[in-house]
Amino acid sequence: MGLFQLDSYVLLLSGNDCLTFVDGLSTNKVTGTCTTVFTDQNARIIDMVDVITVGQNIALVGHAGYKDILLSHLISKILQQDVTLRDITPNNKVYLSTEQWTEREGMTVVQTFRGWLIVASHAFPLESTMTLEEFNDYRIENMIPHQGYEITPNVHPFNCGLEHLVHEAKGCYIGQEILTRMRSRGRQGKELVRLPNPVVGATTIGANHSLAIVRKKGD
Amino acid sequence: MDCGTCDSGPAIVINAPQVVQVELTMTQKATEMLEDAFGDDRSHALLVGVLSGGCSGYMYDLQIVENTDIDCQEIEINGFRVLVPNASSHLLNGIEIDYVDRLMGGGFKINNPNASSSCGCGESFS
Repeated sequence: MGLFQLDSYVLLLSGNDCLTFVDGLSTNKVTGTCTTVFTDQNARIIDMVDVITVGQNIALVGHAGYKDILLSHLISKILQQDVTLRDITPNNKVYLSTEQWTEREGMTVVQTFRGWLIVASHAFPLESTMTLEEFNDYRIENMIPHQGYEITPNVHPFNCGLEHLVHEAKGCYIGQEILTRMRSRGRQGKELVRLPNPVVGATTIGANHSLAIVRKKGD
Repeated sequence: MDCGTCDSGPAIVINAPQVVQVELTMTQKATEMLEDAFGDDRSHALLVGVLSGGCSGYMYDLQIVENTDIDCQEIEINGFRVLVPNASSHLLNGIEIDYVDRLMGGGFKINNPNASSSCGCGESFS
């Protein structure tokens, strides 16, 4: 497989409260580098972000198409907390490697459930080795949801293969009551599936198989 | 990662909400509980703030403090100093501080006319 450039934003959060701020507003337990999901009051996804600790700061790496709505969501929540936001998207390019990637000068590499996420300075650009079709085939093969395809504002984390990013024991966050109720009742509506082609209503279409979000059996 | 030399990079401009001159009330029960908590010492103040988080997006933050670095407005009510951070004043104008005497879920409660919804425990609102 190889390396694919993602269409991502990178926000840098600094201040003493930046980790608790992100933790209090997202589905996963955020104590350091991890992946989490911001949800609205209906538990629908605002964006999935990779949280990367950078010294005393944290970087949030999400999907460029969802940046404005996430920023609007976050900015309105900063009140007396010590949190400063910076948009460092223009300084960086974001890639996903399907194989282990060794960190070099000018880049930060973290392993995520999607693969190795690489945030590289513009001064040290990398070259994509995968086409979009190859990247999609990799995602289909490994049941990896992606923003704009499966991860959209129309679904809950449970609907699109992000159940593992919803912490079972953490305290309140926006959307938590709904997600907890869905989980405890075992009724999660729809789920992400991989099916052989042809697939009606596929979210990602591959050469032989596709991903789709379908109603869960029994729901 | 190039974080734009981090701290020196330009911060995203946050349009801070307009500071509102807060008016608030306190029920008799809440006053009695504060009298128990403070005793005769009036050097401390009750800080009533709002933090992000909770099921509904904002959480009340009640603290007894001597001083704070937070930019606050000070209100005297029923003989107590109440501090309200200016950053959350728009969310707290008109609140009533109450005390609910219950074994479970009891304690200080905020009745907030600005809240369009609250979570079940009453600590969070939007």
